[in-house]
Amino acid sequence: MSASVYVAFPLMALLGVAQTAVLPHFPILGQVPMLPFLVALAWGLLRGVNEGAVWAFMAGFWQDMFSIVPLGTHALVFLLAITAVLLIQQLLPLSQFLLPALFATIATIIYLILHTLLLRLLGFPLALNAVTSLLPIVILHAIIILPIYWLMNQINRRVNPRRVEL
Amino acid sequence: MDLNQTQQRIRWGIFITLAGLAVLLTILDSTGNLDGALALVRDPFGTVLSWTSTRAENVNDLLSAPRDIETAQLEIEQLQAKVDALERENEELRELQGEYQILLELFNRARETPTYRRVTAAVIGQDSNPGVRSIIIDKGSADGVRVGMPVESARGLVGQVFRTTPNSAQVVLVTENSSAVPSRLGSSRATGILRGSGVGNTMTIDWIDLRFQVEIGETVLTSGLGGRFPQDLVIGRVIDVNRSEADLFQQAVIQSAVDFEALEIVFVIVDFEPIDTSIFSTSPGG
Repeated sequence: MSASVYVAFPLMALLGVAQTAVLPHFPILGQVPMLPFLVALAWGLLRGVNEGAVWAFMAGFWQDMFSIVPLGTHALVFLLAITAVLLIQQLLPLSQFLLPALFATIATIIYLILHTLLLRLLGFPLALNAVTSLLPIVILHAIIILPIYWLMNQINRRVNPRRVEL
Repeated sequence: MDLNQTQQRIRWGIFITLAGLAVLLTILDSTGNLDGALALVRDPFGTVLSWTSTRAENVNDLLSAPRDIETAQLEIEQLQAKVDALERENEELRELQGEYQILLELFNRARETPTYRRVTAAVIGQDSNPGVRSIIIDKGSADGVRVGMPVESARGLVGQVFRTTPNSAQVVLVTENSSAVPSRLGSSRATGILRGSGVGNTMTIDWIDLRFQVEIGETVLTSGLGGRFPQDLVIGRVIDVNRSEADLFQQAVIQSAVDFEALEIVFVIVDFEPIDTSIFSTSPGG
């Protein structure tokens, strides 16, 4: 695992602030994408399960900081959703351009289902129709992940250049 | 042991550690054991959120202005620079007028109910969870804000304080699923518990007796029963009534009077006189 896991903590804090105080002012088609979730997913797709899991946990932790739900719920659900997708990724051929969109769709659906179940378990009476109303966010995530994945890929190439053996 | 097996072990080790940590945090926070520590972390972030939110709002204003700018540019081609300056000045005045309107509405609301003691707060963030409806305000326990206090805007009831730090607080919106407000319908006088639907700006009052003739458009107010909310705060209007003669009760669907997406300033009602229910606690014998 690289030093990127140490970057994850302050980066996700920043993204958490942006998610809470900035993005609600700029909704896309009436929805606010979950930026920390997508960044963690994109990084995991590029760097593998271990780093993806740590980034997912950090993203969830900071998401919890600015939410009324108990601390740790997003951390757990992000971790499960992103790790599940990263394990699926290993079974598929090397990442193609549109694969991040597919993974973002799957991860968001897993997130919505697990999070609703967990919150209901913790006594938050989330209704099923409230979850279905969030489905547009799945489509939004599938689109938004593409520029995020591209950006994270650029960063990854700079930070971790490929070694070529001669 | 081969390398692949070691990697697998490390992977599962990381996963199980993180998942365990998350579960531990959830348990500790749910049982209130992390309140003090979390307040220490959340409090400084209240200031950061406030600063960031204000800047984001300004940028949003700038970005949403292109229509005005385009119009102004057309006029610039026809008119002199003086007109341009006047346009800009006019724009600023309109902005001021908007702010004045908000403050006037808040002032009028405060004047209507002088017995309530309120703390004015700015909305500095929204819940980061898209499935949960709450907002973050820039006033906290240092300003007298306590958990459970009702929050209203100039248009009506917003919600209830859920959690506080010294300088910020989280407010659960009245439209959130977990929200329950004792309420009363304005004309038919039916009472019931209003519950958020978690979707859009609608709420419902279930179990209304069929003898009440609930009309669409009726105003819905807080009943004050239970003492958690003051009496007669406007909540919204009835937009639909689900009545079936086969059932014993009817359900009213309520549209909130508040536009939660456009909330900028709210009042936390820190002190009010709950309705007198002492009559019910007196025993029949005296």
